[in-house]
Amino acid sequence: MASPNRNARSAVVVGRLLGIAFLICFGTGVYSHLLQDPLPGMRFPTRPVQLYQFTQGLHITAGIAIIPLLLAKLNTVMPALAQDPPVRNVLHFLERASIAVFVAASIVQVATGLVNTFQWYPWPFPFRQVHYALAYVIIGSLVIHIGAKLRVISRYWRKRDSYDADGRFVHDDTVGSELPAYDATAAYPRGITGRVMRWADGAGPGRASRPEPTEPTEPTEPTERTEPTERTERAGRPDPTAGRRERIARRGFFTGIAAATAGVVVLTAGQSSKLAEPFNVFAPRKRHIGPNGLPVNRTARAAGVLATATAADWSLTVAGPAVTRMFSRAELVALGTTEAALPISCVEGWSQMATWKGVRMRDLLRAVQADPSSHVRVTSLERHGGYRIMDMGPEYASDPTTLVALELNGATLDLDHGFPARIIAPGRPGVLQTKWIAKIEVLS
Amino acid sequence: MRAARIVLVVVGVLVIAFGAYVMVTTVRPNRIGGLATWLLGAVILHDAILSPFVVLVGLGLRRAGRALRLWVLVVVQAAVVLGSVLALVVLPEIAAKHHGAKNPTVVPFDYTTRLLVVEGALLLVVVAVLVVGWLTARRNSRVVETTTIS
Repeated sequence: MASPNRNARSAVVVGRLLGIAFLICFGTGVYSHLLQDPLPGMRFPTRPVQLYQFTQGLHITAGIAIIPLLLAKLNTVMPALAQDPPVRNVLHFLERASIAVFVAASIVQVATGLVNTFQWYPWPFPFRQVHYALAYVIIGSLVIHIGAKLRVISRYWRKRDSYDADGRFVHDDTVGSELPAYDATAAYPRGITGRVMRWADGAGPGRASRPEPTEPTEPTEPTERTEPTERTERAGRPDPTAGRRERIARRGFFTGIAAATAGVVVLTAGQSSKLAEPFNVFAPRKRHIGPNGLPVNRTARAAGVLATATAADWSLTVAGPAVTRMFSRAELVALGTTEAALPISCVEGWSQMATWKGVRMRDLLRAVQADPSSHVRVTSLERHGGYRIMDMGPEYASDPTTLVALELNGATLDLDHGFPARIIAPGRPGVLQTKWIAKIEVLS
Repeated sequence: MRAARIVLVVVGVLVIAFGAYVMVTTVRPNRIGGLATWLLGAVILHDAILSPFVVLVGLGLRRAGRALRLWVLVVVQAAVVLGSVLALVVLPEIAAKHHGAKNPTVVPFDYTTRLLVVEGALLLVVVAVLVVGWLTARRNSRVVETTTIS
């Protein structure tokens, strides 16, 4: 399993990128969680109105980028999986156990997160709660892992400390890396491993050492024609081509990671980014399709509101502290309508800008003599589901762009988009943009 | 360094403990059993299936790549990695579509055809690079032959 790519420096380089991606996902994920389950007294920014579109698009895009990066990291440290002896002492056992937790949680998190964006849930546990809890397990394991490997990480943090003048990886036994040294000129190991490696190299069964590198066609760069350094002379193997071959192998490895990461990101990011829209080949969502030119998450049929939402006697109840009024659609229009350009940004990552027309929430609150800066509770016609009741803080209720929307993209709101009326507010996840609303209560 | 490492490990354990607390307070015990099965399955999938598979592919590439020039090998390797990762992402999407989308705007594309087209394009790139590599190698060896004869 030894290879010029499976060394501590590669692990540090890939690990840094993977760590950044995990932290981005954690930060944006906790933000999304708090928007939906705020701690007491929390307030959130309503500008820029596309803030949540950005943070959640980033969450999903970074999550997709984690897939190739995680595979690359696991590939880089693969020799440590089969280390001999498997466990050296209690501390080593605990460290390997923490890595098992890290790897298991990461794989389950990324795999279920990806499939969740396809709106498919083939697992025996609730997605949202487990996704949230595993996030802490992953970040905790990451911190432990950094602590356990800190000496290796700092030893190989910089490129110039990691390679010798010929470009060969400098193996340092003193920092406790579990990855074996790679030596292209070493003799084959005995037994089945050596035979398999001989086969892969096309070497004869009788040869004890590996074939000489034959690379006469590619001209060597002039800088690499320098005399062998002291280090290689001391090692007794003055082989300047070995460093060049290791370097090319490494570049090939990182080219593969870069191609895979760029590939999955570019071909899927079009569901949340205008820039990547022309390259949307594999995203689970496409913009500008569906009723009113906007995709749908939950249909009226799925929500069980086909009859109640189309009933002729539908009215919206607005309950203030002193006054309660009922409004038909015509009466809502009579209050005066406003237009607002706000995105629908789904927790599953897709998002799209849309033009909404409806009554400002603060105008409705004034109509029942309530303070526009109130906490409000909105109840949907939906009969079940976790988002049937939605609470809205005063920063949203008083915002001039927060609407009880009646029209979408220049036409009457489609039944699947929440007809007869729905909420649209700046910077909130799609699940909180309650559809088919029945009641608005002022809480404070 | 030692103090920093101890602090990191302690903080990490506390964060994991908070995750475990969130887990047991929000997820029912029988569902946690289901999650445990999935976590164990992930380790087995990686250790017993994915890793040996990658080692075998690596050995195969090493054997097949003996005669190839390095830049050809780099392109082939990048194409194999990209093709594998795309398949890993899109195959569950095909399964999700097959399972039935909740409405026509969810997984709207024909992902099977799209995946075949992209993988086909990658295959074309691999073939093209192999042919170019073979042609240049042959031309170079001819040059070497003629120079040695004269």
